[in-house]
Amino acid sequence: MEKEEIYERLNNVFRDIFDDESIVVTAKTTSNDIEDWDSLEHINLIVAVEQEFGIKFNMNEVTTMKNVGEMVDIIISRVNK
Amino acid sequence: MELTSFIFFMFCLLTILIYFVIPKKFQWFVLLISSIVFLFWDNFSISTVMQAIIVLIPTYILGIQIEKYSNTKKGKWLLIIGIAIILGQLAYLKYTNLFLTTAKHLLKLINIEYKFTPVYRDSLIGISYYSLIMISYLVDIYRGASKSQKNIFKCALFMSYFPILTSGPFIRYNDINEDLYGKHKFDYNRMCNGLVRVLWGIFKVLVISARLGIFVDGVYGNLESFNGIFVVAAVIFFTLQLYTNFSGSIDIIMGISEVMGVKLPENFSLPFFSKTITEFWKNWHITLGAWLRDYIFYPLQKSNVMQRLTKKCKEKFGKKNGKKIPMYLSMLVMWILIGTWHGGAYTFIIGSGILQFIYIFLENELEPIAKKVNEKLHINMNSFGYKLYQVIRTFLLFSFAMIFFRATSVSNAIDIIKSIFALNRPLGLNLELIGLDIYNLLPLVLSLIALFVVQLIARNGSVREKLFKKNIAIRWTILYILIFAIIVFGCYGASYDPVAFIYKQF
Repeated sequence: MEKEEIYERLNNVFRDIFDDESIVVTAKTTSNDIEDWDSLEHINLIVAVEQEFGIKFNMNEVTTMKNVGEMVDIIISRVNK
Repeated sequence: MELTSFIFFMFCLLTILIYFVIPKKFQWFVLLISSIVFLFWDNFSISTVMQAIIVLIPTYILGIQIEKYSNTKKGKWLLIIGIAIILGQLAYLKYTNLFLTTAKHLLKLINIEYKFTPVYRDSLIGISYYSLIMISYLVDIYRGASKSQKNIFKCALFMSYFPILTSGPFIRYNDINEDLYGKHKFDYNRMCNGLVRVLWGIFKVLVISARLGIFVDGVYGNLESFNGIFVVAAVIFFTLQLYTNFSGSIDIIMGISEVMGVKLPENFSLPFFSKTITEFWKNWHITLGAWLRDYIFYPLQKSNVMQRLTKKCKEKFGKKNGKKIPMYLSMLVMWILIGTWHGGAYTFIIGSGILQFIYIFLENELEPIAKKVNEKLHINMNSFGYKLYQVIRTFLLFSFAMIFFRATSVSNAIDIIKSIFALNRPLGLNLELIGLDIYNLLPLVLSLIALFVVQLIARNGSVREKLFKKNIAIRWTILYILIFAIIVFGCYGASYDPVAFIYKQF
């Protein structure tokens, strides 16, 4: 799967979870950039991303990923396995 | 060993002295010996030694085994065994009475009278802290987030690092292992930085907290003699007492650790400037919140059971509301656990658990309504006045919950709440009953002002950094005032009650 496609699909997930159609995520996007992205929504986001790509993040990844770029790297490593 | 006692400072001085004199590769061993001495100082018996061993040996062995099977089914079983051993002991030592009380209430529901005498078991200092720390150690190894410690003595040091045993903060193996086992050169600036923090901590505990405690004890001990206004004052003062005691202890702990080059995670970040209870808990006892988030809330929310529940709720209540129900359920579990961790009694479960959950629930659910109302009334939610109102509201809500936290029983808490409305009693403040004379009230007011000013400055960055940038005359004047205040106004000695560390009992 190409990076562009992943970002496109991630945009949809983010817009859906945070109820904001204007969201466009980049590799550098962090929870500071999106108002509702707190620790409660974080886990909802993770689960939604898992469902979108049919993958599983392990708990270590859930608690340590720092930005969307890291999330995308994990997605790539899982789907292209 | 109390954190503000003379013996503790002699103990730290001796530890630090040996720590920097001996070859650096043995530094961690000095910390281990000191930690063992500290651990058993007040409470040396076969039973307490066994308590330490029951956690250390299985955690050490299981840690190495779990590492071999991380993220596998076998690893998971080993992890469950480890957690069961640690929690089993913690529950046996700390929560027997809670179980028995709950059993009593449940049996009463089916008309069975069950009487029991509360049991008090001697437990090792810091057991509530090191139990959770060791659980996180095992879980992190299982998750592949950290490696196990192969040296049992080093593992013992991680478990018992003495500064954190009284009041935390919660440490994680990955964050601290390099500092804990590393080689540290003596650093003059680091020492000055650490010692200033220790001084500030002592000031908070001995000058502010202890004095507030006298007032709070005085009012709570003679509820029927005071007008409601003074009860409200006591409720507010208790929150400040708890904060200065707890955050002051943390300052002492972090300062001492800093001198030795072991950096600990921050546990407070100006909580009283928070505009909501949600924000408040991000700034109060930060490491406990983070622990529960990473080891309880996230796994619970991500579990298959919760996922199925979310799916069902979404089908039934729509996407937005549907996902809230499992979230609130996980949060409720988390808050009950926070309350229980604070103490094996309903007062703690209500005060630092369920009430906090209710606040956060209402905050989230009422926010859209509040926004609409404010818009209609043309209230500017970004104005200073509105933010001030939010800050005061948050403080008062938290203080109200702390009535339960401080009370001896739930019925005692209700008595306190009733006393707030006793406004027909005489308004005179009976200083004798409180135990604070006018010579004590003045330093109390002044030290609270000092605390407030320091917190205001801290909003724009480290106060210590700013202090060290000042010229030598100003710097030392401020430090001398601080030392002078501690010596003259510190509440210690025979005429005062010894300062009991509120958070040590947990």
